[in-house]
Amino acid sequence: MTAVDATLSPNRQSGRRRRSVVRVMQTWISLLCLLPALACGQDVIARGAEAFGKSCATGYCHGPQGGSGSTAPRLAARGFTEEYISQTVRRGIPGTRMPAFEAVIPRAELIAVIAYVESLNGITPSMPPARDTEKKLPQEAADGRELFFDSVRGFNRCATCHEVDHRGTPVAAPILKIPADVAALRQIATPEIETASADGESFPALVISKGKNQMKLYDLTAPPPVLRTFPSGSVTLKQGGNWRHSGVIAAYSDQELGAILAYLRAVTGP
Amino acid sequence: MRTLLFLLCAGLAVAQDGAVRADWPYHGGSQLAWRYSSLDQINRANVAKLAPVWIFQTGDYEMGLQSTPIVLDGKLYLSTSRSQVFALDAASGRLIWQFKYPLPRVTVPYGPQNRGIAVGGGYVLLATYDDNLIAIDQNTGQETWRVALDDMRQCGCTITGAPLIVKDKVIVGGAGGDSAHRGYLTAVYIKTGRVAWRFYTIPGPGEKGHETWKGDSWKFGGGATWMTGSFDSSLNLVYWGIGNAAADNDAQGRFSGEGEGANLYTASVVALDADTGKLKWYHQEVPKDVWDFDSSYECVLLDREVRGQMRKLLVHINKGGYAFVLDRVTGEYVNGFPIVDNHNWTTGLTEDGKFVGRVEPVEGKPTLFCPSPLGGKSWNETAYSPRTGFLYTPTAEVCGEETVVHEDPHEGRNFIGGTWKFTNPPNGPAHSHLDAYDPVTGKRQWSYPYKYLLLASILATGGDLLFTGDPEGSFFALDAGSGTKLWSFQTGSGHRGSAVTYMVNGRQYVATPSGWGSLAAGAFPDLWPETSSFRGGSTLTVFALPEGTR
Repeated sequence: MTAVDATLSPNRQSGRRRRSVVRVMQTWISLLCLLPALACGQDVIARGAEAFGKSCATGYCHGPQGGSGSTAPRLAARGFTEEYISQTVRRGIPGTRMPAFEAVIPRAELIAVIAYVESLNGITPSMPPARDTEKKLPQEAADGRELFFDSVRGFNRCATCHEVDHRGTPVAAPILKIPADVAALRQIATPEIETASADGESFPALVISKGKNQMKLYDLTAPPPVLRTFPSGSVTLKQGGNWRHSGVIAAYSDQELGAILAYLRAVTGP
Repeated sequence: MRTLLFLLCAGLAVAQDGAVRADWPYHGGSQLAWRYSSLDQINRANVAKLAPVWIFQTGDYEMGLQSTPIVLDGKLYLSTSRSQVFALDAASGRLIWQFKYPLPRVTVPYGPQNRGIAVGGGYVLLATYDDNLIAIDQNTGQETWRVALDDMRQCGCTITGAPLIVKDKVIVGGAGGDSAHRGYLTAVYIKTGRVAWRFYTIPGPGEKGHETWKGDSWKFGGGATWMTGSFDSSLNLVYWGIGNAAADNDAQGRFSGEGEGANLYTASVVALDADTGKLKWYHQEVPKDVWDFDSSYECVLLDREVRGQMRKLLVHINKGGYAFVLDRVTGEYVNGFPIVDNHNWTTGLTEDGKFVGRVEPVEGKPTLFCPSPLGGKSWNETAYSPRTGFLYTPTAEVCGEETVVHEDPHEGRNFIGGTWKFTNPPNGPAHSHLDAYDPVTGKRQWSYPYKYLLLASILATGGDLLFTGDPEGSFFALDAGSGTKLWSFQTGSGHRGSAVTYMVNGRQYVATPSGWGSLAAGAFPDLWPETSSFRGGSTLTVFALPEGTR
């Protein structure tokens, strides 16, 4: 209930900077809307209503036409400010279930949804027109992204150990250097891997920290890696180990790895 | 008379013992999920004297306190919705340690919710809102290992249910069956944190049951495992309820029409080999679910006589408002019966347990369904008393208008395929009741009515008492034989968690979480506007008989 209420509370804090941004946006949309027809705002609202129906007025969330939903609050006629609507739709409410839609729906839809919720609160839409600035990946890189995060592969996917573009588990350090080609990717050396002996067994490990009292390391016996904490002195380490990066990527074909490299170049490049 | 009743029941207790005593070691009390303690120091004769002895405030109000505490050797372990864990002296409430998990900085799918931890092998096992499983040293509160079981930013999934310890492993499910996501159960070795096995609730290519999915829909078909299962050590079988198929209301994209059942193993109960995670049997309660009728609730394991023959049974309630009685050795259907008065989505069950006369939601026009996607019962759990032989279940008499809206899956995003509006049943206001059932025949023995929904689990005790709480903050005791209210105490915030009982130094305690919140609580103001003023909270209140009065 508290979370649901949290999504209701309009953020009354509005800085001077945010107000000026809104004014610029209002001017922008006014100018653009004058040309095609005065119905421009209505088109945005209609598109927003459609997008709202798909992304917001569903099952456990808000109700149709901004009414109260099964478990999320009413949005219509709430006296929300445009800053609050824009902020909440774009960035969500961290720590609750209200998502940051900026990250999940295309910009055109986002703008339309904001305009629609504004219209439900008696505000003339003030948002800029649809302009899809989402980074479009070339086909090969888009395929690579699918493969990198491929949940069908279970734990045997790159994202089990690598975080890229705010997704995946950061077991390994951030990918800064991208191998030149598939052959180089298959031959990646991992000198940081050691063999740990503890609790009467030995296993490949990636040491994260060695403190005075405790040591933290990833146990790489099988994916997913386990971050284990041992009292200092209870683990012995030996350089090198039987873990190979080539082993964990063996299930990907050369073509698939080529696509993954294209993806990494696209998202980590300039 | 009491002695005679006890002696009569003693024979049953030898055959099967799902009761707990001084401790409350598992989420459901024992691994059989009875939520029953044989402690009887607090009983019908003296419960009126029950009084609070200590109170603990967690400080974490988010989504209410939905947890079941675990009690072992005089220590009580409690988790909160945002994955905070506390170890307390169970007699005094003194804080022994606190495990501070980082609070969420991004959106948590469905909001952060936690219904309990597991304790075993020297560790407290915490499954976090962001899909990590963590072993915390039971004595020091220090982290020993953690493993990421998924990435909530990608899968749109989270973990809400308490893990279940089974021999040397801890088994944990996940929520997210209303997102485009493929559900699973994961077993992890307690000692090392290494994954032992994972059972996908939707078969992959080449596996039996895969043919019941159309095209690629199996990749995003739901089947979450968001509550806690049971374990029968004599059969070495783990039982778990599997959630709805996704998109919830729209089967057009996923129903293949091939094979037995539809969209396996969603809306089913599965029995898995505890060592390997291999499927032993399944029983699909709602083939081609289009109402969000999860089967994810608790599996109560009972040995009872059926037509003159002792049977190993499993009793399971579905969100569709029906209870199923299965043979837990084979999965064979034994009986089924409705637990709600308002049910219109089917005309009933055939003799072999198939729903007939189904009415399905359609596109473009709302249809009234009873029960609603809130369920004929929410996830708050039943109790079984071997003394009365009754199963005690809370119910929800709420209906919903549902409309199909076609949508395509996008991994991790909301994938409901419909809109809902919760409403009153056609013949009166929404309400609930706590009922006592013969769990085999389905005969209702008594009913305790309540004006809102009872959303806290039930605790049954050897003192022939039932304990539970209501959304208005009242924690109360009923006579397990008659349903008569014998005692109550106002805790200050609504109840969504699960009470437990235990004994330390010869004194019996009853502990209840309180603190209003959760998704179902969010549905209240539309049904009952006055409940919009209900306040959140997150408190554990512990009761005992005053010294010298027992």
